[in-house]
Amino acid sequence: MHRITSPENLESVSRRLAAERDDGKVLLTVCGGPGCQASRCHDVASEVRKQVKDREIEGKVRLRVTGCHGFCEQGPIMLVGPEKIFYCHVKPEDVGEILHHSVNGGGVIERLLYTDPSTGKTVIHEADVPFYQAQTPDLLLQNRQVDPLSIEDYLAIGGYSALAKVLSDMEPEKVIQEVTASGLRGLGGAGFPTGRKWAACRAAYGEEKYVVCNADEGDPGAFMDRGILEGNPHAVIEGMIIGAWAIGAREGYIYVRNEYPIAVEHARIAVNQAREYGLLGDNLLGSGMEFDIQISRGAGAFVCGESTALMVSLEGKTGEPRPKDVEPVERGLWNKPTTVNNVETWANVPSIIKNGASWFGGIGTEKSKGTKILALTGQVRNTGLVEVAFGTTIRTIVEDIGGGGLDGKKIKAVQTGGPSGGCLPESMFDLPIDFDVLQEKGSMVGSGGLVVMDEDACMVDVAKYFLEFLQDESCGKCVPCRMGVSRLLEIVTAITEGKGKPEHIPLLKDLGETVTEASLCGLGKTAPNPVLSTLNYFMNEYEAHINEKRCPAGVCKALIHYYIDPEKCDGCMACLNVCPNGAIYGEKKQVHTIDTQLCDKCGICLTACGRGAIAVQ
Amino acid sequence: MNQYVTLTIDGSKVSTPKGSSVLDAALRYGICIPHLCYLPTISESGACRICIVENIVNGESIITSSCTLVAKEGMVIRANSEKIRKLRKNIAELLVAQAPNSRAIQDIAVKCGVREVRYPFRHDDCILCGRCVRVCQDLYQARAIGFIGRGSQRYVGFPFDERPDFCKRCWACIDLCLMKETPCDGPMEIGQEYLCGKCESTTMAPQFDSGDCIRCEMGKGFGCTRHNM
Repeated sequence: MHRITSPENLESVSRRLAAERDDGKVLLTVCGGPGCQASRCHDVASEVRKQVKDREIEGKVRLRVTGCHGFCEQGPIMLVGPEKIFYCHVKPEDVGEILHHSVNGGGVIERLLYTDPSTGKTVIHEADVPFYQAQTPDLLLQNRQVDPLSIEDYLAIGGYSALAKVLSDMEPEKVIQEVTASGLRGLGGAGFPTGRKWAACRAAYGEEKYVVCNADEGDPGAFMDRGILEGNPHAVIEGMIIGAWAIGAREGYIYVRNEYPIAVEHARIAVNQAREYGLLGDNLLGSGMEFDIQISRGAGAFVCGESTALMVSLEGKTGEPRPKDVEPVERGLWNKPTTVNNVETWANVPSIIKNGASWFGGIGTEKSKGTKILALTGQVRNTGLVEVAFGTTIRTIVEDIGGGGLDGKKIKAVQTGGPSGGCLPESMFDLPIDFDVLQEKGSMVGSGGLVVMDEDACMVDVAKYFLEFLQDESCGKCVPCRMGVSRLLEIVTAITEGKGKPEHIPLLKDLGETVTEASLCGLGKTAPNPVLSTLNYFMNEYEAHINEKRCPAGVCKALIHYYIDPEKCDGCMACLNVCPNGAIYGEKKQVHTIDTQLCDKCGICLTACGRGAIAVQ
Repeated sequence: MNQYVTLTIDGSKVSTPKGSSVLDAALRYGICIPHLCYLPTISESGACRICIVENIVNGESIITSSCTLVAKEGMVIRANSEKIRKLRKNIAELLVAQAPNSRAIQDIAVKCGVREVRYPFRHDDCILCGRCVRVCQDLYQARAIGFIGRGSQRYVGFPFDERPDFCKRCWACIDLCLMKETPCDGPMEIGQEYLCGKCESTTMAPQFDSGDCIRCEMGKGFGCTRHNM
């Protein structure tokens, strides 16, 4: 290992590393993303290592454990060979067979292949899996090509060549021009044009400037930043160095939440590797540029994902937002000009420099360019990370990529943009993923969470869930957010408990508007979105709760009761035995009854009954 | 070099030293933007949001707290628009519902137009305006008290809930507390959530009027008496 001293040197190293990797060995790619780790992909990987050693076939097989591929539902995932045979739900017991087939050439293992549920046919190659077909992978594609712990892998696919291009023949102004022309917008949620932010930061007065990578991803069910920082940390680092060059910064920070231990570790290893290679530190690639990155761990406050709160937290103070009357690009970290961008935004920068602004500008819609990684979760068949071009409709994502509802249930709504995003009904699924379009409809792209809800979800209950989250995670500094959200929650809770009054609806709207308009930071300004958007699109559910004291989806416990259908009950006593409260009476072979006084609506009997005799009203 | 900047607040041109806030500028000219957590000479936090104003930038209105907004040459501020009055009223309503037992908060609520409170009273002892924390930190440099916890669990307390030696017992925190003002003995029970508004004239004593009030339109709507509390 030696320091890379010039752009030419970098090119020759990259070429050598790429040639080393093109040696005819069979490549086994095991997904090591968080989803696959939970389904024990590391057992699979170590079994591969062990068996390769036992069988003495080190010269024929190469194992690569990568970051997240996206299709978490099917983990652990393994791709075999250059043609990418797609095996899913791989267990350590299957490794022997896979090695046998791949080393001896040809043949696929039928039982490990993915079965397309809509056609019932098996799919052999990754490219033919319907989940991947509607996607436009760029960052997630890189995730599949590199081992996050190996800078050599990243160099072999042309990594850091964008940096070399910038340092050898691009003035900072030209870099900013290129990023502005590409139309890249902040992918952390706000969608602020990145080029404009960089230009303002460069123009700001000050010797010392900082670049910060915001990896404090706190939305429930969202893990795209985690997927990138764990899977391809060098892309983020390269993007940050390019940003630092453009802005004139000498120091950078990656603020990553401590709940992502693997992301922290991978980022640390990557930074150290980059230092060893001379890609961080003094005199980068012989250009005289000086830049280094520190890793700072966040303590798990949702609000620290807000840029001003993040900077206060980086300074070592309590993470609370400060007013944005002076933009962070002028007075940010330690009152110095600072550019804060999200992980995904930084990771997109090298590709833009490498392929040019017009390539990036060619993807997406008129005002939202490029791709967006979304975390598809909830009641859909295929969950995981998906990367789509802006402009892809919600329906494509939910139905083509997500594969439709679980157990054939009808999908009712999607919640986009995390807790402070909004719910959109099924009738609006033809809307494209686009910053401005979703904003207009009362939701937002946000960080990229996409929670799908089917007909079993009660929208009032959903609003209550998100408000509870926001109440806990509000920093409590300003009045509208702290008191407003807690009052919103108080009212919504009353509605779910059957204590709703008709005047609550205008009150929710009025208060929601106040919180939106008057709060201090972006978190407060978007906090009422779950209530406002459900009020907007699912007013009938609120009305049913308030006027008829009825929960149409059968979720709100105070408004439902369980009963046994005498036609269907055969007196098997299954429900009677499982009821923890002894609320079910009856003799064997006789119709049972539920005592509504004792019943606490836990729903255990519902799952115990084999005949569907227990119903919710 | 020009050490003053000129800006427009509700149509009147005012000039103020460079670097001062819009709220400072307005108060200096007797334009009474109501405020709660703001204290002169102590760092502003923008927490209570009572002093919000509309800052018109390129025809677009940005709502922000005037105490944290630094005055700039040519700024156009609207401090008394219908939208602002409505937001202020709603915020004051939240405050008075949280802590109805302080005359300072009752007064500000009544002045912002709150008569009926739509939320059940919570009878809290603190609205977390942070005046005590900031005076301890900025003026007396003691940092003996601070905010603990977050969100609805947030409260003001000593480090590890024990009075530290470096607390100088100056009681500035108590002096500045809004909650120490004895409440009006009007209807303040749970279930009777409204403010009579009858006693506002007596609490806002005329001796606080410094004499340079221009009787602005703003004050008419707000019932201003140049009271700093």
